[in-house]
Amino acid sequence: MIMPSGQQLLLPANPFFIWTSLIAALLLDMLPLGRVPWMPDFLALVLVFWNVHQPQRVGIGLAFMFGLGMDVHQSALLGQHALAYTALSFFATMIHRRLLWFTVPSQALQILPLFAVAHGVEIIIRMISGGVFPGWMLLLAPLGESLLWPVVSVMLLAPQRRAPNPDENRPL
Amino acid sequence: MPLGTLDRTPPPFFKQGPSALSKLMFFSALALFLMVADLRFRITQPIRAAVATALYPVQWLAMQPVRAVQHGGGYFTALSQARASEEGARQKLASQSLRASQVEQLAQENSRLRKLLGLREQAAITGMAAQVLYDAPDPYTRKVIIDKGMFQGVELGSPVLDESGVLGQVTRVHPLVSEVTLVIDRELAIPVLNTRSGERSVAFGEPSAYGGGLELRFMGSNSDVQQGDLLTTSGVDGVYPPGLPVARVGRIERRAESAFARIYCTPQAQVNAAVHVMVVNPVSTGALQAPPAAPAAVPGKGGRK
Repeated sequence: MIMPSGQQLLLPANPFFIWTSLIAALLLDMLPLGRVPWMPDFLALVLVFWNVHQPQRVGIGLAFMFGLGMDVHQSALLGQHALAYTALSFFATMIHRRLLWFTVPSQALQILPLFAVAHGVEIIIRMISGGVFPGWMLLLAPLGESLLWPVVSVMLLAPQRRAPNPDENRPL
Repeated sequence: MPLGTLDRTPPPFFKQGPSALSKLMFFSALALFLMVADLRFRITQPIRAAVATALYPVQWLAMQPVRAVQHGGGYFTALSQARASEEGARQKLASQSLRASQVEQLAQENSRLRKLLGLREQAAITGMAAQVLYDAPDPYTRKVIIDKGMFQGVELGSPVLDESGVLGQVTRVHPLVSEVTLVIDRELAIPVLNTRSGERSVAFGEPSAYGGGLELRFMGSNSDVQQGDLLTTSGVDGVYPPGLPVARVGRIERRAESAFARIYCTPQAQVNAAVHVMVVNPVSTGALQAPPAAPAAVPGKGGRK
C-alpha cells in the first residue's frame, strides 16, 4: 500500500470497534434533546470516517440501513436520511484515496461540502414534500460536523495507533 | 515487527462487488421509492413498525442519561419551589372542586333533558394516561413520541390531551410507541367552536421556527371574533370529544384588500413541554354510526294499518 511518508503504520481495524463506534454515534443522535436543527449529525460523521478509512467494511449499503433507522427514530419521511447518507457515503468512497494524503485540518475542509450536500438533499426533499422551513440555524450543522472531524480522527484511530508489541513499559 | 500487526489481506482486485456508482443508483432509487410509498401511498407502516421495534432498545438506552439528569435536577430543586408548586396546585384544586361537585348533578340533568328532547346520549369518554418520551427531532414537522403503542391499545387517530387542552392526534402507531402530531403542525386541522359567539370554524396548525400557534382560516373579515376568545373542540368531526379547550385567539389582522381575516391563536396545551398526556379513544367508533332504526310501527301517529 502506498502511504504518505512520515505517517505511523496503523494496526488493522477491529470490526467490533467499528460497530461499537457506529452504535455509539447512533446513541448520541438519539439523545432526546428536543428539536435542535443545528445539532451535528454524529452518525453521518462516523459513517463518513469509516467510509474513508475502511471502505471495504463500511459501505453504501450500511449507510442506507442506518439512514432508515434515523428516519424511523425521527419520524421523518421514510428514506430521507437514507438518501442523504447514501449520497454522503458515495462521495466519501469517491474521495477516500485522495483524502488521506492531506493533513487532518485540510481533510476537515474537504469534507465540509459532503456534509453540506447531505443536508441540502434533506432540506430539498422536505421542502418539496411540504415541510416547515426549520430556520437558518440548520446551516451550522455541516460546519459543526466538519469541525468535529479532527476530534473523531483522533478518537477513532487511537486503537489502531497502539504499539504492535506492548510490554510493561508500554502497556497500551 | 511481529506478524498480524498490519492489515495483510491483499486488496481484492477482481471481486470488488458492484461499483460505487451502481450502488449509489440502487440505494437512491430504493430511497426515492420508499419516500413515494410513504408520502403518496402510505404503505410503509410495516417497515416503520419493524425498524421502530428493532431500535427500541437503543432508544431506551439513549433516554437514560437525560432521564437521570432530569431526576437528579428534580432532586436538587429548592424546597421553596416545591412548596410554591404545591400551593399553586392546591389553589387550582380548590377552584376546580366547586365545578367538579356540580358535574354529577349537571350530567344527570343533561341526560334527563336529552332524553326529554329525544337527543342521542353523549358517548362516554374513555382514555389512558401516557408519557411523552421525546420530541421528534425532525425539524420539518411538530411531533412527539409517547410511550404507549399498539400493544397497549392505542388507536390510530385518537385525540391526545394534556392537563390544559388538546395536544394533538395519534398519527402513527408502532407496537411499543406511538407518534402524536401536535396541533401546531401544518398538517393538522381541528374543528373548533368559539365559546363566546358559538361560531364554528377550523383551526390549522401554523408552526414557526420557535414555538408556533394555530390559525383560524376562512373566517370573513367581519366575523365575530375577538382577542381572548376561547376555542374548544366542536365535536362535529366525530374524532374529538366536544368541549375540550384548544386555543385562545391571540392576534387578529383584518385587511381591507382581503375578504378574510387572519386570526392567530395560541394553543392551550403545552405543545413544547408536555410530559403527561391522556390518549382518548376517538368518538367516531360509536357516535358516527347511524342511530338505531326507529321501531317500524309508531303508535299514535295515525299511520295506515
